[in-house]
Amino acid sequence: MSANITYLRLMLRGTFSLLKLLATNPGDLRKLKERSEAAGERYVRPPRRYELPAYDPSMKIAPRRQRYLRPTRFCNPYTPQVMALAHSLGAFRLQPRQYAKAAFAFAKEKLYLEICPFDEVDLTLQRGAGTCFHLISVFIALCRAAGIPARYKMFSTTMIQAWRSALVDQDPMVKKWYDSLGYFMIEGEGEAFVDGRWTVAHVGPTAERQASAGLPITRFGEDALGLWFFAVPGTLMIMESVPLGLGRGSHFLQRIAPGSLERVNLGVLAQSEAGLKVLAAAGGVEAYDRKVRMAMGPEVPTLELEEKKGIVFAE
Amino acid sequence: MAISYAEYMELFDKRVAAYIPPLESWSPVEKAIYGIPDPFHLPPEVAQRLQFEALSFTFRHHFQKNAYYHKLCLERGFTPEELKGPDDLERIPLLPDRFFKEYPAGRDFAMWLANVMTGDLPKIVIKEKNPSYDQVIEAFQQAGITVCFSSGTSGRHTFIPRDERTFNLSEYAITKGAVAIGYPGWSPEMKGYLMMPNPRKTHLFAGRVAMIYFDTISEVTVAIDREVSVDLLAKAMGADRSLAGRIVQYASRKTEKRMVEKIIAWLEYHQEKTQDVLTLVGAPYLLAGVLEQLEADGKRLQMGGRAGVATGGGWKIQEGRRIPSEQFRAWVEERLGIPPKDCIDVYGMVEGNGWMTHCPEGHYFHIPTCYFKPMVLDKEFKPLGFGQWGRFAFLDAAALSYPGFMVTGDLVKMLERCPVCDRTGPVLEPEVRRAVGEEMRGCGEEVRNLVSSDLGN
Repeated sequence: MSANITYLRLMLRGTFSLLKLLATNPGDLRKLKERSEAAGERYVRPPRRYELPAYDPSMKIAPRRQRYLRPTRFCNPYTPQVMALAHSLGAFRLQPRQYAKAAFAFAKEKLYLEICPFDEVDLTLQRGAGTCFHLISVFIALCRAAGIPARYKMFSTTMIQAWRSALVDQDPMVKKWYDSLGYFMIEGEGEAFVDGRWTVAHVGPTAERQASAGLPITRFGEDALGLWFFAVPGTLMIMESVPLGLGRGSHFLQRIAPGSLERVNLGVLAQSEAGLKVLAAAGGVEAYDRKVRMAMGPEVPTLELEEKKGIVFAE
Repeated sequence: MAISYAEYMELFDKRVAAYIPPLESWSPVEKAIYGIPDPFHLPPEVAQRLQFEALSFTFRHHFQKNAYYHKLCLERGFTPEELKGPDDLERIPLLPDRFFKEYPAGRDFAMWLANVMTGDLPKIVIKEKNPSYDQVIEAFQQAGITVCFSSGTSGRHTFIPRDERTFNLSEYAITKGAVAIGYPGWSPEMKGYLMMPNPRKTHLFAGRVAMIYFDTISEVTVAIDREVSVDLLAKAMGADRSLAGRIVQYASRKTEKRMVEKIIAWLEYHQEKTQDVLTLVGAPYLLAGVLEQLEADGKRLQMGGRAGVATGGGWKIQEGRRIPSEQFRAWVEERLGIPPKDCIDVYGMVEGNGWMTHCPEGHYFHIPTCYFKPMVLDKEFKPLGFGQWGRFAFLDAAALSYPGFMVTGDLVKMLERCPVCDRTGPVLEPEVRRAVGEEMRGCGEEVRNLVSSDLGN
C-alpha cells in the first residue's frame, strides 16, 4: 500500500513538473516533436542480438496463480515466446540461482536500451530492445516462467555525471525536467527469489554502456544503487507489477516528445559505441571488469538484515 | 610563569572529565587515547606498541561481535589468530567507505543500523510504521547511540552509529589533539565561535563532532543555531527541488548574510570591549565569507595574539575553486590579524575517529598513531611507501561500535615525519585531494551547501 502511495506521489510530482515546464516554455513544445532530418542523426534500431527459439507445447509450466509468479501488467511469463526462451536458457534444468543468472545475462546483454512506449514482454523480445522497465520485465518474466518468484524494485534517483550525460543531457527538455525535479523520476531493478532470499538484478545497461562510464560490469546480485544511481530517500518501492499509469505515461511522452526520445536513443547508441572502444582497448569485457574493480578497491560486502535483539518496532 | 605541559593537560583532563571513563574500565584502546600525555610526542616504539595493542583489541572485538565483519574476515582469510605483530596489521580486511552509504529506508534503515553495529544493542523503540531517517536517528539517540551523518553532493548520506564509548573517545581525541598541538594556547576561560550547526540540534557530523567544544571553554556562540535534520540538509543541498526545498534554499540565502554579520560583530565587540582569548572553530567556507565581507567593507581586525582559528572540512569554498591552505592562512592574517601559526586545520571524516591536526610550525597533518594506523594505497590497493600520493586508508582502534577499518576516497601523501617540527610519527602533506570519480564532500562542503549559495556565490 505504501509503495502505491509513494508511486502516486512521484507520478503527481513528475507530471506537475513536466506540465509546468511545458506551460512556462511553450516554444519548447515544438522542439520536443522536432526530429533531425540528417541521416546520421536519425535513430536506427540495431539488429536483434539473438534468434527466438521455437515453442513446444510440451514445455513444463510453472504454477501461475501464486504471487510473484502470476502474469502482471506488461509481463506475461506464459506466452509461447517467453516459455520457449526460458527453456532454451535452462528453465527447470538448471538450479534456480544458475538459471536466474542466465536470465539476467540475457536481459542485460542481449537487449538494447531504447526509449519507447510500454508494451508486452513478447514484443520486447521480438524487437530486441526496450526501456529499462521492458528489460526488467523480460528478466522477471523469464524467472516466473521457470517458477522463480520475481518482482520490481523502483525508485527515484540521482545519478553519476557520466550516466546523466548519456541519458539526460542529450535533450534540453529532458535535462530541464531532470533539473526541475532534481532527480530522475523513476528507475528500477528486478529481484528474483533464489536460495531463500530476494536477489537484485540490474539489467538496464549492457557491458559496453557501463564501460563508457567507467563502471564495473554488473553481476547478478549487484545493485546499481550506491554505484551510479543514488535513490532519493523515501522513494524505494517494491512491487509485483509495473504500476498503473506508467504505460499510459510512456505513450503520452512518445506522442508529445518523439524528437526528445529519439535524441536520448541516439545518445544511448553513442554511449554504446564509445563503450565498445573502451572494452576493446582493455582487452575484452573480463579484463576491463577486473581492472575497474581493482581500481574501486575492496568490494562492498553484502549486509544481510538479520533480526537483532534490542530493536523494538511498536505496532 | 608559563604553565607546564603536564599541568596544562591535567587541567584539560579535569575540564573534560565527563568524557573519560573510570581507569579500571580501560581497555588497550582507552589506554592509547586517555592514558598518554601527548599523541604527537610519543617515542615511535611506544606509539607502535600502543597502536598494535589497541588495534588487536578492536579487531578481535569486531571479529567476535559483528556478523558481517566476521564473515568478511573469513572470506578474506584473515582472523585475529593471524594477527601476531605490527607487520600483520596491514592484512586486516578493509571496508570501502561506500559500505556506509548503502542503506534502505523506513524500518529497514533501523535494522540496517542495528546490523552495522558491533555487539549488543540497548533497547531501541521505533514507534512509526514508516519512520523517516530523522525519526530512526532520534530513536537511536534516545537509547544512547549517536548516529551521525555526512553526505556527498549527490545527497547520499553516510551514516555512522557511535555508542557512548566510541563517541566519547572520538570527542576526547579530537580535542586532545588540538589542545596538545596548541600548547600552551588553550585555556578553559576562552570564548569561542562555532562556525557550524549547533551540535545539540543536529546529527550532521559537521556539527555534532563539536559537542565537546562547549565543555572545553567557557562560552560558545553558534553560527547555525537551528535544527539541521537529514530532511533539511537534503533540501538545503539542493537534492530536493520541491516547493519546500526551494523555500529552505531561499531562507538559507536570506539568513547567511546575517550569519556573517553576526560573526563580524562578535569579533569587533571582543576587539574593542574585552580582553578575552578567542577561538574560531568550524567550516573554512564560513570563515572565508567573513573574510570576504571584511574585505568588501575595507576592514582589518587585529586579533593576533588573542585568537586562534581551527578549521575542518577542506577548502572547497566554491564549486571548482579551491583555496590552498597557505593562501587561506595569509588571508586570515591579512583580515583578522591572526598569524598563520595560530590558524590550523583538522582532517578527519565521519567514518573515523582519527583526527589529524596541523602543526603550527609547518601545517603538516600530524597523525595520532597510538590508536590510528594510516595507510596510503596504490591503484591496486596495496600499501605504498612514504612520499607517494595514494588513496588514504586507515585502521581506527577507537571505532568500537562499528568496524573502522576503511578505504576512503581521499588522496594523500604521507611522510615518515614532519619536515618542519620535532613531533614524532608520520604526517600527511597539508593538502588532501578527492580521488577521481569520488563525490566532492567534506564537512566544509556540507556547511557550504547548508548555507546555500551564500556570500555572493
